[in-house]
Amino acid sequence: MKQSTKIFGMIASGLLIVASFSCKKFLDRKPLQATLQDVQAAQGTLEAQSLGLYYTLRTYAGFSSLPWIDMHSIRGDDAAKGSDANDGKEVIAEFETFQYTKDDWATDTYWNDHYTMINLANAEIHIGDSLKLTDPATLRELGEAHFFRAYSFFELVKAYGQVPLINYYFVNPADGIRPKSSIDSLYAQIDADLDTASRYLPLSASEYGSNYAGRLTQGAANTLWAQTHLFRKNWDRVKSLCNTVINSGQYSLLPNFYDVWKDGVFGQGKNSSESIFEMNAYAGVNAQSIGSQNQGQDGWGTAQQVRKDGAPVEWNLGWGWNVPTDTLVAMWDNTDPRKNMTILYSGQSDGGSSQGGWGATLPAYSDPLGSTGLAEKYWNKKLYTGNDPAQRQATGFVGGSGGAPWIDHRILRYADVYLMLAEAANELGDGATAESALETIRNRASGNLGLTRTILPHIAFTSQAQMRTAIKKERLWEFAMEGYRFYDLVRWTPASDGIDALTVLAPLGYQARNQYYPIPQPAIDISAGVLKQNPNY
Amino acid sequence: MKKMLTIGGLSPHAVKKALLVMKLTFLLVFVAALQVSANVSGQGRVSLTLKQVEISRVLNSIEKQGTYRFLYNSRLTTIRKKVSVDVTDMTISELLKNMFNGTDLTFKMLENNLIVVVSNSTAPQDIKVTGTVTGASGEPLSGVTVSVKGTANATSTDNNGNFTITVPEKGTLVFSYIGYQTQEVAVNGQAVITAKLAPSTRALDEVVVIGYGQASKRDLTGSIVKIDGKEIADKPNVNPVSSLQSKVAGVYIVNSGDPGQQPDIRIRGTTSIGQVHPLYVVDGIFQDDISYLNANDIESMEVLKDPSSLAIFGVKGATGVIAITTKKARAGQTIINLNSTQGWKKLVDAPKFADATTFKTLYAEELANTGITTPPNFTGLDANTDWIKAVTRTANFQTNNLSISSSTDKNKFSMGLGYTKDQSVVNHIQLDRLNINLSDEYKLNKFIRVGTNLIVSRTHNPYIYDDLGDVNGSNVLNDARQVVPLLGTGTKSFRLKNLYGTDTTNQNIYPLAPTLQLAGVVNPLLKLNNEYNKTIDYTYRYVGSAFAEINFLKYFTWRTTVYGDISDQNKRQYRPTYYAFDPVSLAIQVQNPLTSVQEKSVTTRKFQQDQILTFKSIFNEHSITASGGFTTYYLGNFERDGKAVQGTYGPIPDDKRFWYITTNFEDPATAIASGSQYEYTTVSYLGRILYNYANKYYLTGSYRNDGSSQISGPHRHQGFWAVGAGWELTKENFMASQHIFDFVKLRGSVGVLGNQNTYDPSTGLAAPYLFDEVLTAGTVTPFGNTLYSAAQPAYKPDPDLAWETVHAQEIGFEANALNNRLHVEFNYYNKKTENLMTVITNGALGIFNEVTNAGSLRNWGEEVTASWNQRLTNDLSLRISGNITFMKNRIEALSPLLAGGKIIRTSQNNGQQASYTQPGYPIAYFYGYQQVGIYQSQQDISSSPDASAIGTYHPGDFKFKDVTGDGKIDVDDRTKIGDPSPNFIYGGSVGLTWRHFDLGVDIGGVHGNQIFRTWAALESPYQFVNYAAFQINRWHGPGTSNKVPQVNSGERYNYQGSSYSIESGSYFRIRNVQLAYNFDTKMLAKAYIKNLRIFANVQNLKTWRHNSGFSPEFGGDATSFGVDYGKSSSALPMITSVGLNVTF
Repeated sequence: MKQSTKIFGMIASGLLIVASFSCKKFLDRKPLQATLQDVQAAQGTLEAQSLGLYYTLRTYAGFSSLPWIDMHSIRGDDAAKGSDANDGKEVIAEFETFQYTKDDWATDTYWNDHYTMINLANAEIHIGDSLKLTDPATLRELGEAHFFRAYSFFELVKAYGQVPLINYYFVNPADGIRPKSSIDSLYAQIDADLDTASRYLPLSASEYGSNYAGRLTQGAANTLWAQTHLFRKNWDRVKSLCNTVINSGQYSLLPNFYDVWKDGVFGQGKNSSESIFEMNAYAGVNAQSIGSQNQGQDGWGTAQQVRKDGAPVEWNLGWGWNVPTDTLVAMWDNTDPRKNMTILYSGQSDGGSSQGGWGATLPAYSDPLGSTGLAEKYWNKKLYTGNDPAQRQATGFVGGSGGAPWIDHRILRYADVYLMLAEAANELGDGATAESALETIRNRASGNLGLTRTILPHIAFTSQAQMRTAIKKERLWEFAMEGYRFYDLVRWTPASDGIDALTVLAPLGYQARNQYYPIPQPAIDISAGVLKQNPNY
Repeated sequence: MKKMLTIGGLSPHAVKKALLVMKLTFLLVFVAALQVSANVSGQGRVSLTLKQVEISRVLNSIEKQGTYRFLYNSRLTTIRKKVSVDVTDMTISELLKNMFNGTDLTFKMLENNLIVVVSNSTAPQDIKVTGTVTGASGEPLSGVTVSVKGTANATSTDNNGNFTITVPEKGTLVFSYIGYQTQEVAVNGQAVITAKLAPSTRALDEVVVIGYGQASKRDLTGSIVKIDGKEIADKPNVNPVSSLQSKVAGVYIVNSGDPGQQPDIRIRGTTSIGQVHPLYVVDGIFQDDISYLNANDIESMEVLKDPSSLAIFGVKGATGVIAITTKKARAGQTIINLNSTQGWKKLVDAPKFADATTFKTLYAEELANTGITTPPNFTGLDANTDWIKAVTRTANFQTNNLSISSSTDKNKFSMGLGYTKDQSVVNHIQLDRLNINLSDEYKLNKFIRVGTNLIVSRTHNPYIYDDLGDVNGSNVLNDARQVVPLLGTGTKSFRLKNLYGTDTTNQNIYPLAPTLQLAGVVNPLLKLNNEYNKTIDYTYRYVGSAFAEINFLKYFTWRTTVYGDISDQNKRQYRPTYYAFDPVSLAIQVQNPLTSVQEKSVTTRKFQQDQILTFKSIFNEHSITASGGFTTYYLGNFERDGKAVQGTYGPIPDDKRFWYITTNFEDPATAIASGSQYEYTTVSYLGRILYNYANKYYLTGSYRNDGSSQISGPHRHQGFWAVGAGWELTKENFMASQHIFDFVKLRGSVGVLGNQNTYDPSTGLAAPYLFDEVLTAGTVTPFGNTLYSAAQPAYKPDPDLAWETVHAQEIGFEANALNNRLHVEFNYYNKKTENLMTVITNGALGIFNEVTNAGSLRNWGEEVTASWNQRLTNDLSLRISGNITFMKNRIEALSPLLAGGKIIRTSQNNGQQASYTQPGYPIAYFYGYQQVGIYQSQQDISSSPDASAIGTYHPGDFKFKDVTGDGKIDVDDRTKIGDPSPNFIYGGSVGLTWRHFDLGVDIGGVHGNQIFRTWAALESPYQFVNYAAFQINRWHGPGTSNKVPQVNSGERYNYQGSSYSIESGSYFRIRNVQLAYNFDTKMLAKAYIKNLRIFANVQNLKTWRHNSGFSPEFGGDATSFGVDYGKSSSALPMITSVGLNVTF
């Protein structure tokens, strides 16, 4: 008995000793998946984080889907919510008729997603700074981070005016609460970031490698920078930046206006020479059925394709948002070839391949509910041009499973560089440059018919006011439903030619305070009083 | 013979001892038989001198002289008596007479000089006793342990309450049974003994499971509630915990209407903002969920609530523990038991939605309100469907169980086989489960016991309609209430091409939801009826353990247990292609044009080992039980997913043979795989001491240190402790003269417990790696048609994280009075949770979520339990019991990192259903505007505070309260509009036994909580849904309503979270009514049946409530619960069942 006790005692103490020795090993467990540190150690650069910013751009709705469309396009007189009367009814109040809301999915998301991008860029810049890496690849990646930060702040300052300037990496969430900064200091940050980006980013995306078309370039930084100066009326900076982009020799206008929007199988039409920066989307073979190969996340393309409602199922292409308004259709001269390349008419032919169509005839408009047909009279044809039936078949977005997640968002396109140049030159008194730049756009729009053409005739400079109005009008036709119009009208306010927000949008309910959207209530709530609501809300 | 005796006398070996007893018995019988005929020849003479030696030695010496041989039981105590002998030439009989004088020994001379020495006073005359054990009212009690006092000899009663046991004729039988007072009966030679056990409201000496051991309840200083397995076995609930609702004070249970879904269960309040469900300890192994268990396999469930019993569970103890003991064989008999229940589930009191007429009225009005003049086209929409009815049914519930158990002195064996079928009231959704349970325990010798236990289950998981497993239940009912009543439920025949071939056939197909509600609203029948049987989803689970228990040095026990729990889920889902038609245009649409297959496999492995050393001793008035040991735990979870789409051969056939990724029907280019995996471990040391002095003063103490692989920083190892004290007043002299109280004990305990919360801040699911910057899975970026891997952090890690701690106190008393008929128990508890593991969700700051420690919350309350037992007549007895728990909860502080100082959980498309967790308030309270009415007119609007800060509004819209009183209504006027936690919960039961009948009624309820109803209040702006029936009372002109706003989904002003959505959550329910009949055992004996019981049961017979949803029960997680999303988890049916229980 005694002996057995001893044995048990020995076993017990042995077990305890083994236990305490192996305890540390038993408890030391790394994640069974990669961490950011693992990825960085494997790559030696900030590549993964940089590419993560493009992921954010493409998948966060504030950049790529309804909230972006609401804020940028639907607020303009060129575009309406679309869809049908039962879908997203509140958007009519909030964005078409300027009864802004303080707490809504679209506006909250818009705000949150832009700050998410800013903080991701801050984190990347912070790591880059602390690692003091100076190899060309890392610098390019830092350039991307600076670009996305500037891009996000620019969108915020346009939408809300003063916002908190978060240009630092923080760990403690309370450090992310800041009062509003002045618009000047926000622009100072944008300038600094775009200066860095324009120096760090490559001239051509090919410098990243062979399959990086669509990745950020100097041209993108300079074009965005020109836009930011346009909003500040720094005309000489706009002019010089536009010239830098033009003189880089990297870009050209496509001969056919509708080619800009082609987005077919195997990436045809994507990242064209007219595209300075494009949100790249992708849907693989049978992506609809597979799900996870649908990398477009539905946002951009699906939101703006024709909505079926009471029409046959082959017209189940998307959600039908961002459609032309009656105003746009009525005031647009039928002789402008861009009109039929921008507006898709219910009950009519899509115009066939010569107008960016696919040879189909749309079902007729029935009523606002689409009871027996389509619920809108017009649709956004720029996106429809990207709706290649072959791509639709290949990706499986057919029949009841509509959608078009493969379509890229052309964020910066070369045409804007010419129109910005024209506007800046005109304001600086350089009528000749303004006339020539405007002509470049009008000639291409006419189908390159040359100076003797009868449609979209050449506009000679006669006065600054005449040229200014002409450029303003051109911007509407060239960029209809691309998200420029509302902010253009705001920055032109007040205008003697009547093309400004107060005049054009007043019938829709616009008032001066509507220049800025109210800051989302959750952001105010979370700041516990540090962040103040915009005036007059 | 002599040799045999010697062996018997000296060997300590138990086996041989047993042999001896048998042989000795035989011999005694033999002796008795011989007595009559034996010639007494005791005239031989002996001479002998011995000083102070044992009598046996004397006998031994006589034997050595050669003439006589002796036969005696060496265990007789008097044989060891020391005597001095100094005789010369004395007759042997004279010598023995003298020597035995004054002792109880006598002798008998047999033939051949054989002398048998026996004790005359305690002649070990073992007799066979049979008898019956009944309850107070005469009902037979089965499974009562009948043991011989002071020995290990025991048996248990059969289902008729009968037992047979062999006992020394002067022995004492001890009858013990859970829920009854232990009774001792002196045998005194009776051959038939009938014991009537008094039900004990408080089985004082009842043995309860306390974690890493058992203890007499008397020795504890905390409140532990034990529930007999019988109470849950015959209830129609798949998850055994569901049956505890309203039964135990301090335990708040919200059940789910979905088969296989766990109930939301919280013990003594919401103790965390993370995990709130208790730990389950099933025969020692830690579990988060016990839905794999068969209720019929459960012997007992113990609910542990107080610090002194929970500290031993360390980092997992804070949310309370439910310890479950599965059935093992009872001592001494073979039992075959068959148990079968058939039940019918029916949805009662379902919410009402607009019928065709109401819909048309309201829709026309809505269109007018939104300015649409085109009349709607209702072609083909001429039905009047009750969609809730259309997707629900009278469902079936069924259990069948067979168990066999048998035991001998050395081996206890039991096995069980069970089948459970649980249909949802929602069409086609059904769970099936098969269980096998094996246990065996073997006594190697007096010191070593080994055993194994194995539970195997195969669950056929219910079809998941939504693809995503939503905790709020399936969307079928939510979809059903959204569809307009104008849509018919039937199919329509079309002549169409066979999607799986080339021929054309007549096909009956379902309609889509009409175009007027195209977005997001679906005809639930279309998907359900086409896809419910295309999923094969089984979970196989094997939970096993093996133990060895060694007793040594009299006071010590070493127990080693190893556990394994392997669970494998295998799911194959086939996406068929099928037609649907537009009900208006009759256009045909193909759903899922490309068939596809998805395979999923989830393996979970858990391993646990416990090494526990226990010391147990009683000396003088001191009683000590001390345990110590260590335990390790490993959990690994490995998930793999694969998908493939049809290839060039066309659709993958609708045939189970081909529902795999690779069958050559797939397009290899589309075959993709993904997976996820994690693991974590803990290593823990623990110790506990239970001490009492004179069974009057009790002290307990426990400590546990947990090391966790999930924490790499300074807080990897954390310690938890508790101490408790008890005082049994009734043992004091000053209580001796009173006759009211039979038993009074005061007790209290204090300790620090841990909560191993594991969060995934982005999804709310378990995230095992909170300390590493892991990435969002599957993040890619395309450029052109090339995909690149990208990195997006999944959340922000905090290197200083620690598990949260709960500082808990309990004080209480329990008392039995009036001849133990009244039992009362009272507890006051207070639990302060510190270092709350807080998810910092700061979307508005544009940062990823993280988990940090900070903040505290407090739960406190009182629990009262009382019961009364009385036998009214010989045939009639009554049991009444009740419990009530008053509970309060308050957030004391929250992390300063939590910007805004509160946790805001929102749901619905526009985030208007808000649950706030904020210091000074109860957890997860509802936040929004106070509705005071409806604006009746433009004039009403102008004379009221301006509300334009919220949005544009018109007559017919909500009038909110100006809470701040600043003359305008804006976001600052939002306030607390409800609290999802009840003020008190209660339950009770009444039991009547009359002859063979048994009637039990259980009631329960909660009071003082609110429900936030999102449907018919906060619909998504992206869809148009059917109206709730009550919306007919909408405002449609001055004076028409001051509560329900105008119908106008374009008026988003009305889609603010407000008190309009708040409904009372109080309810009172007749939870269960059961009538049983126990057949007369004499009659049954002819059919070789020991026992037969039939019963009928109704669960959720009637609920009195104030809310408009399916039921008043809405669970959730810690910081968002009590929200009515109109989903199926709250669709709790009434279940009528009948069953029988037969024992052979």
